[in-house]
This record gives sequence, C-alpha cells and structure tokens, in this order.
Amino acid sequence: MAAPMMIRRELSSLARIFRGISRLEPRAGVTCSGHRTWNTTRFRLPPTSITSFHSATASSSTPSSITVTEEPDVLLQRLSLLVKGHDRAVLDSYEFFVTMAARELGMAVSDVSEPKKDMERLTLLKSVHIFKKHRVQYEMRTHYRRIQLTHLTGSTAQVFLEYVQRNLPEGVAMEVTKTTMEKVPDHILEPMSDEAPPSQ
Amino acid sequence: MGTNMAAHVSKAVLLLGQINQAGLGFQRSVKGATYATGVVTKTKRRNEDRGKDPVRRDKRVSITPRSESMPLDLDWTAVYPAAASFKPNTVPLPVRMGFPVKGGVPPDKKGNLELIKIPNFLHLTPTAIKKHCEALKPFCTEWPSALDTDAKCDQFFPIKVESTDYVSASLSVRNPAARVVHLKVKMSSLNLDDHARKKMIKLVGDRYCKETDVITIKTDHCPLRQQNKDYAMYLLTVLYHESWKTEAWEAEKTRADMEEYSWDGSRSQKNLLQLLGRGGGGGEEELLGRSDVQEYKESVTRLKNHGESESTVDQYKDAVKKLLQL
Repeated sequence: MAAPMMIRRELSSLARIFRGISRLEPRAGVTCSGHRTWNTTRFRLPPTSITSFHSATASSSTPSSITVTEEPDVLLQRLSLLVKGHDRAVLDSYEFFVTMAARELGMAVSDVSEPKKDMERLTLLKSVHIFKKHRVQYEMRTHYRRIQLTHLTGSTAQVFLEYVQRNLPEGVAMEVTKTTMEKVPDHILEPMSDEAPPSQ
Repeated sequence: MGTNMAAHVSKAVLLLGQINQAGLGFQRSVKGATYATGVVTKTKRRNEDRGKDPVRRDKRVSITPRSESMPLDLDWTAVYPAAASFKPNTVPLPVRMGFPVKGGVPPDKKGNLELIKIPNFLHLTPTAIKKHCEALKPFCTEWPSALDTDAKCDQFFPIKVESTDYVSASLSVRNPAARVVHLKVKMSSLNLDDHARKKMIKLVGDRYCKETDVITIKTDHCPLRQQNKDYAMYLLTVLYHESWKTEAWEAEKTRADMEEYSWDGSRSQKNLLQLLGRGGGGGEEELLGRSDVQEYKESVTRLKNHGESESTVDQYKDAVKKLLQL
C-alpha cells in the first residue's frame, strides 16, 4: 500500500473520498442543550469549491475545501486495531507510528498490547520419492499488536483509519473493530398499545 | 600488440576526452593506423593484457554518494516523501544488516539485499507524522465533552453495534467475515416490566449474560453489513414488543418454569405448616404471620436463589433454631 506522493494531493484525495465530513464550530457551540441532538454541524460553506465524490481531477494547486453536512456524526465508543505480521520489528515501528499519529490528532489511546504469536508448523517429506524417515519442517510465525482507541467521532475515525491504512507496510494485515454507540430507537421506547395477538 | 590496441581505441571513440597525457602519443600513431587499414577487426585480448590498458575506462563513472554531502538541517521529508525502498547512497546512516561472516561483522549497507527487502519507515519520521497530522487536523471532529465517562455513554447511548473491517494484501479486497454485526444492549436500559423482563430472558436464551446483564445479538445471515445491522435492530424490536404481550398459554407456567424460587405455595411451606399445626391448633394465616416463620421463609428463599455460602447457611441455621425453639 504505497502512500500518496505529495501531501497536498493526499488532502484533496481525502476531501474527495470523505463524503459528509462534518466540521465543528468553535468550542462555544458544542455544549449540548439536550442529549437528543449530537449534531456537530451548524453552518454551510459557500458551494463554490465543494469537491464532488466522483470527480477525477487532481488539482494540487487549489486548497481543498471541507464539505460540511447536516447529518449527525457517528460516535465510536471504541476502535480496536489488530495488526498482524511476520516480523516483530516492523510491528514495533508501526505501533510507534500509529500511537504518535493518534496523539497528534488528539485521540485517546487506551491500550497497546501484544497478543501471543501464532506458529503454524508443517512437516513435509524431504525427498520427492520415498525416504519416509527424512522429513523437513517449516514454520510460519504471525505476530500481533492490538491498539485500542476510545471515544472517537466517525469523521475522526475515518481520517485516522485512512491515514494509518495507507501507510500499512508490506506484508502486514489489519483488522479494525468498531463499536458504535446508538440511542434506543423510538419504536422500542414504549410498548405498543393492546392489540389482538397475531393469528398463528 | 600495437594493432590490438588500435582496434580497441578505434571503437572507443567516446573516451577520447578522458585519455590521459601518457596515452596521447599512442593514440596519434594509432589513428593513423586505423585510417590506413579502413577495416576494424575485434581481436581477443589475452588475460595478461587486461589490466595493463591505460586507455580502457569503466563506462560507469562513480560519483560521491549524496549521503556524504547532506547538511544537518536537511528536510528529510523531501528526501523520503513517500514509501520507497532503502537507497544506501541516500540514507546517511552507517547501517549494517545480515548474518555476520565467520569472525566478522554484518555486511555493509552497499548492495545489501536484506535492507532493501524489509519495509522501512524512513518516510514516517516524527517530523513527517507531525506534518501529516497538521494537514489532517481540519478533517477531524471533537468528541462531545459531556460524554467523558463510559457510564454516561451507556446512559444516553445504550445500544452498541460492533463490526469488523479487514485490510490485507490479496487478490480480493473483500472479506466475507466483514458482514458480521454484533448488537449489545443492557437489559436495564430497556423499558421493561417484571413479566416482560422474564419473558425476554426466556426468548433470548443463550444470548443473555447474567453477570453483565447484556443481550448480544449476532447477525450474519445477510450478505451486507448494513442489512445485518437492520436485521439485528428488527430482532430487538420484535423481542421487545413480544415480551410485553401476554399470551393465553403463559397462564400454564408451572413451578419448574419459574426463574426464581418463591416460598409461598412450595413444599417447604406445606411441611412447615404441617409441623407447626401438629403442636397447637393455630390458623394458617396466624402461623404465617409469625416473625420466626417469616425469618425461616427468608432464609430458605435466600438459600435457594443465591446458592450455598457461609452467610446463607448460617442464616438458615439460626432461623431453624428459633423456629424449633432450640
């Protein structure tokens, strides 16, 4: 997964890819009046330079604009990254990169742990024909690293994940587990009024 | 030997500029020789002559590597702006990598395949990360400051939906395990009365965890994650409304179906009444109203519901002693 060549282009590509990126007002506007509305968007930018999702033009000279939408941001209670690789040193470096990026973007890193490595072993015949007593053994080691972040908004998580996944080294895989929080929907708040039971 | 030299020099016209003074005189006579013959023939050189030719030069000219003339305040993010392989002449570090030769050291960085193979993070130095994050900051949003503890999150947003994304390098981008959705709700956050709660636990079965009071609904029937999420919410809705309804056949609930032990109407009560009734002729209600009988009832209920422990067994012992006036 090669990182993009220049930072400017990365910004405009991010702007293209992130639909419905919401932007906060200055801090005064964030305090919630009721716990119903967690809308983080209250204003619209003038539509002169809004980048559309499907446009393929890469304009590295114009500064990319941030698209603001009215839909409320998703709230993630926990974001768990499990990184798998064959080389422990590569995972060490990647963990340093991820934790530093999280700290720079103001995200809370709750836990960084190293689950036990897996070893898959194979015992094969050494020779093409006969010689059953002579075997050769191979093993494949998979090292893990778990990084847990808490209390993120959906757009922050999207930005962070794209950045971190674009810089995944070769031969390293990642599993991202997101735990989103939601309110109890309206149709489960109150029981329905008495109705005739459904005919079987 | 003279004709051999002539043949080679006539071919290497490009190197005329680099021939040193010693060779010039040689060349003048040689030029005349080629003009005279007109035909160039390539002749094999003997091995001994190879090193002696001052005219022959390597076509590739080696220059001093860039790493030796790098200033200390160099902008490293311009040298490695993106992921690239290790270039020994660009990286000014005296790195050695590989298995050491017997009695020696790991090999040098020049032409070291091990250094090229391993993924490097030269494009992700702390300075580079800071620069990237500065550029990414405008796209991030802040977490609402009012939801700082987990307890508050659970209070306002009790439903948790978990799903997993997979990133790996393979022939396909998709992973079928990504469609699985887990929906977790604490039963205490739902609006349920006693009957509804018990019915919900019976309907849900294994998906309810008694210690944490959490219902977990796992859906993977549908091919897409959004569909599975919608299905899980639908299941929760159905469970909720069905548990509030009371069906006709629920009246047939027997003692074996009860979730908790209740002393009224049990064999223990019948035995006790029989025992006490033998002594004096008191009415049933009078007997049940006695404080020691109430204590006995409490101790038996506690023993049955909470299991055997020192406190519960002691309580039972005291209650029995008081009852039988021992």
